[in-house]
Amino acid sequence: MAALAAVGPPNPRADPECCSILHGLVAAVETLCKITEYQHEARTLLMENAERVGNRGRIICITNAKSDSHVRMLEDCVQETIHEHNKLAANSDHLMQIQKCELVLIHTYAVGEDSLVSDRPKKELSPVLTSEVHSVRAGRHLATKLNILVQQHFDLASTTITNIPMKEEQHANTSANYDVELLHHKDAHVDFLKSGDTHIGGSSREGSFKETITLKWCTPRTNNIELHYCTGAYRISPVDVNSRPSSCLTNFLLNGRSVLLEQPRKSGSKVISHMLSSHGGEIFLHVLSSSRSILEDPPSISEGCGGRVTDYRITDFGEFMRENRLTPFLDPRYKIDGSLEIPLERAKDQLEKHTRYWPMIISQTTIFNMQAVVPLASVIVKESLTEEDVLNCQKTIYNLVDMERKNDPLPISTVGTRGKGPKRDEQYRIMWNELETLVRAHINNSEKHQRVLECLMACRSKPPEEEERKKRGRKREDKEDKSEKAVKDYEQEKSWQDSERLKGILERGKEELAEAEIIKDSPDSPEPPNKKPLVEMDETPPVEKSKGPVSLLSLWSNRINTANSRKHQEFAGRLNSVNNRAELYQHLKEENGMETTENGKASRQ
Amino acid sequence: MPTVVVMDVSLSMTRPVSIEGSEEYQRKHLAAHGLTMLFEHMATNYKLEFTALVVFSSLWELMVPFTRDYNTLQEALSNMDDYDKTCLESALVGVCNIVQQEWGGAIPCQVVLVTDGCLGIGRGSLRHSLATHSQRSESNRFPLPFPFPSKLYIMCMANLEELQSTDSLDCLERLIDLNNGEGQIFTIDGPLCLKNVQSMFGKLIDLAYTPFHAVLKCGHLTADVQVFPRPEPFVVDEEIDPIPKVINTDLEIVGFIDIADISSPPVLSRHLVLPIALNKEGDEVGTGITDDNEDENSANQIAGKIPNFCVLLHGSLKVEGMVAIVQLGPEWHGMLYSQADSKKKSNLMMSLFEPGPEPLPWLGKMAQLGPISDAKENPYGEDDNKSPFPLQPRNKRSYAQNVTVWIKPSGLQNPNAEIFLPLIDRCTEDFKKCKEIT
Repeated sequence: MAALAAVGPPNPRADPECCSILHGLVAAVETLCKITEYQHEARTLLMENAERVGNRGRIICITNAKSDSHVRMLEDCVQETIHEHNKLAANSDHLMQIQKCELVLIHTYAVGEDSLVSDRPKKELSPVLTSEVHSVRAGRHLATKLNILVQQHFDLASTTITNIPMKEEQHANTSANYDVELLHHKDAHVDFLKSGDTHIGGSSREGSFKETITLKWCTPRTNNIELHYCTGAYRISPVDVNSRPSSCLTNFLLNGRSVLLEQPRKSGSKVISHMLSSHGGEIFLHVLSSSRSILEDPPSISEGCGGRVTDYRITDFGEFMRENRLTPFLDPRYKIDGSLEIPLERAKDQLEKHTRYWPMIISQTTIFNMQAVVPLASVIVKESLTEEDVLNCQKTIYNLVDMERKNDPLPISTVGTRGKGPKRDEQYRIMWNELETLVRAHINNSEKHQRVLECLMACRSKPPEEEERKKRGRKREDKEDKSEKAVKDYEQEKSWQDSERLKGILERGKEELAEAEIIKDSPDSPEPPNKKPLVEMDETPPVEKSKGPVSLLSLWSNRINTANSRKHQEFAGRLNSVNNRAELYQHLKEENGMETTENGKASRQ
Repeated sequence: MPTVVVMDVSLSMTRPVSIEGSEEYQRKHLAAHGLTMLFEHMATNYKLEFTALVVFSSLWELMVPFTRDYNTLQEALSNMDDYDKTCLESALVGVCNIVQQEWGGAIPCQVVLVTDGCLGIGRGSLRHSLATHSQRSESNRFPLPFPFPSKLYIMCMANLEELQSTDSLDCLERLIDLNNGEGQIFTIDGPLCLKNVQSMFGKLIDLAYTPFHAVLKCGHLTADVQVFPRPEPFVVDEEIDPIPKVINTDLEIVGFIDIADISSPPVLSRHLVLPIALNKEGDEVGTGITDDNEDENSANQIAGKIPNFCVLLHGSLKVEGMVAIVQLGPEWHGMLYSQADSKKKSNLMMSLFEPGPEPLPWLGKMAQLGPISDAKENPYGEDDNKSPFPLQPRNKRSYAQNVTVWIKPSGLQNPNAEIFLPLIDRCTEDFKKCKEIT
C-alpha cells in the first residue's frame, strides 16, 4: 500500500509513450521470471529434480483500456514478452521459465461513462497464458470487485458476524446491533459445504454475487478458560478494516476475549460452530466441531487401571508440571561441543532427571511428605549444584539428624500396619533409606551431588550391626507383627538396591492387605485374601533361591500361598505339570491326527 | 471411527455352498459367520467403536442404528430375511445419509460392504451405475466418494477366480477408485468354507480393528495405554513424495503448558488414552470397561488398585488446568488433557496437532520450546502472573494498528480545534465502547 502511494500520479507533461501500460506489463513478466529466494533454495535442495520447482504467476493489471481491440493488443504484448523471456530464462540460473501465467485485466472507467470494453471470462490464449477481462466502474465498485477477486485468487470465503451489540455514539445508553464481514480461508466453511447447508448463506452487501455465511454473535458470559474441540483455525481480516463496527470487533478480540459464533437455525436448537479469538495480536477463526462425538460416554478414568487408588500425589505432581512448563527460546544456543542445542531435548532431559525417583502415591513415600526435606529434594534433581545448594542440602541432612535425635515424629503412612505402626527408629530408618535412594539416583549428575551423598552417608545414624542387634532383640518381644519384621530383617541382609525394590513390592502387598482389611472392617479377621497380582508373585521365587537358607520372607509368602491355594481350585496345568512345566495344546495332537484321516478321505473321493 | 456394516441380502446370497459334511450352507451363512467373528472381536478388543448394520437388496434398511451393543448387532444378523436383487448404489446413498445424519461430514467412518460379487442386473445394478457415472448431475451424484473421510472395505463371499470370470472384480475395483482409493477388496482364498471366511475377516480385523497400544512416558514415569480410536496414518499434502506418517508407540511427554496459553488449538483428531494392564503374554487384562465376565472383573479390580501414572497425570492436569505436550514422532506433537463429558465422567484425552515444525503459530516452533529453568528469569513470573505465550507475530496486522480516520477536506480548515479534538474524543469513545461490550 505504501509503495503504491509513493508512485504518485503520472506526469501529464511527459511523453504519452512513457506512461503506457505496456511498460508495466513487461516489467511484470520480467519480475515473474526472476527466481525467488524460496525457489532458489528449493532448486538447490532438489538437485536433479529441480524441474519439479514450479514458476506460475498472475498479473493483475488495473487500467483504462480504449476498446476491446486495445485489450487484445495488451494480451498479445504479454504473450510475446513471456515467449521472449522464457527463451532467455532457459539458459539462466537466475531466471525461471514461466509455466503458467494468469492475466487479469481490470478495465476501470469513470462513473457516469459507458464502458467501451466488455467483460470476458477466463480464456486460454496459449498453453502458458490465460486471460480474463473485468470491466468495472471506478470508486467503491472497483473496491468491491477487487474484494471478490481476492477471494477467488486466495481461496477465501466470507463470514458475516451478525447481531454484534454496540453502544451508539450519540446515545450511550442504547445499543444497536451491527454486522461485520470477515474474510478467511474457505476451509473454515468446509462443514457447511459438505453438508450442503447453503440456506444460511445470504448475499453480501452491494449485491455482489459472492456468498457470505452469516453467524450469530454469542455474548461471552464468563471468562472461563475452556479447551474446545477445534478442527481448524484460520486467520481473518475484516473486509472493511477501518469501519467503526470492524474496529470495535477487532479491538474487543485483541483485548483477549474470545467470542463463540452460533449458526442461525430455523429450529430452536443452538449450534455453536465457530469461535473468534486472538493470539498475540492475530485474530483466528476457530472451527469447532458441532457433530456428535464418537467418544461419547467413555469409561471414566476412575473405573480403569489405578482408578481405585485414592492417595495419588496430585498436588505434588501439579507442582512438578509447573516446574516443567515450557517456554520459547528463540535465539539458538550451543552446547559445549559446539553443536546446536535443541531446547525441546533439554526439556525431555529435565523430565528424565526430575522423575528418577518419584513415588506416585503418598503412602509410598515418607520424604516427600516432610517439609524438612523440601530444600534438598528441590535442588538435588538439578543438573548441576552451586556451593550454596550443597550447603543447603547438608543443612537439610543435619536438620534431619537433629530431628532423629529429638525423636520427632515422622509423617509415615500408617496404612498397612496394625496398631501404632513402626517404631520411631524404624521410621527414621525407612526415611533415611528413601532419602538415600533419591540422592543416589542423581550422584552421576556432578561431583557436588556426590558430596551430598557423602554427607548423607556420614550422617546416617548408628552402624548397621548395632541396629540389627537391637532389632533381633525386639523381634522376640512382639510376635504379632510378622509381616513387618519380614521387611526389616530382609532389608538388613540385602544390598540397598535389592531391598528397595523388594520393599516396594512388599509394601504394596501390605497396602493391599490393609485395604482388604478396611473393606472387611474387621482387623482381627484371620487372614485377608491376598490380592497380589501374579506378576509380583513371579518376581519373588528367584530371590528365594539365591538366598540359600529359608528367610522369613519366604516363610511368610509360603504361608500366604498355602492360604490362597485353599481358596481356589488349582490350575489344571499346574497340577499335571512336570518340573513346573505343563505341555500346552495337548488336545491338538489328537485333533491333528483326526484331520489327517479326514484329508485322506477327501482325497479318495 | 464408526463402522457401517452393509450386508447384501439379495437372493444371490442364498446360493448354496458345497461343503463336504452334512449341513448345507448358503453364502449368507458364511457372511453371517464372518460378521459374527468381527463383532466378537470388537466386543472384546474394540468396545468403544460405534457400529451400525444396514441390509440391502433393491431397497435398503437400517437394521441397527449406531451402537456399542454388539449383542443387538449379533441378534440382527440372525434375523435377516432374503429379498430380491442387488442394487448397490441406493444402499451406498443410504450409507451416506445415515452417516451424515449421525456424525456430520468430518468424522471418518469405515464402511464394511459384505456381498457375493453378483452386482445385480438392469437399472440399479452396479454395472448400470458405473456406466452412467459420467452423465450425473449434482442432484443425483454417485454416492462415492463418500462425503466424509472413509474407508470402504468390500468383503466378497466369493473367491478370486469366480469374480474374475465376470467383470465383478473390475466393477468393485472401480468403486474403490471412486472412493479416492480409500479402501480394499477382500476375497476368499481357496474354497468357500467357514475356515476361509474366518481368515478373510481375520485380515480385515488385522488391518482395521487392532487396538493401538502405546507406552505413555514422562521421564521415568510410564504407563501402558490403549489409544482409541486408532490414530490413522497422516499424509502431508505439500510434500513431494508423501509418505503417510504414523505415530510412535512411545508417547513421550516433553513438557507442560497452561490451557489458557494453548487456547483451543486446531487438531487433526482426538483420542481417548486408556490405561491398560498388560500381563506377560502381552494380552490386556482390562481396558477399564466393566465386563460381565467374572475373571476379568477380578483382574480389573487388581489393576484398579495398582497406582497408574495415567490417573496421576489426569488428576493433576485437571486440577492445574494444564495440558501435557507429547511427542508423537519426528516433528509431530500432540497434547494430553483431562476431558469431562456431560455426565461428569472425566478422562485422559490426546489430540494430535498437524505434523510440522510449527503447528501452532502462537507457540512458535516446537523444537524451540525448552524448560523454564533454562531461562534467566522465570517467564511465568514469581507469582505466576505472566506468560511467555502467545508469541507476537513479527508484523502487526492492519486491524491491530491504530485506526485510520478519514476526514473530509472541510474538516481541515481549523486544524487545532476541529481535527484533533474530535479525533481524541473518538478514540477514547471507541475504547469505552469496547469495554462496555465486554
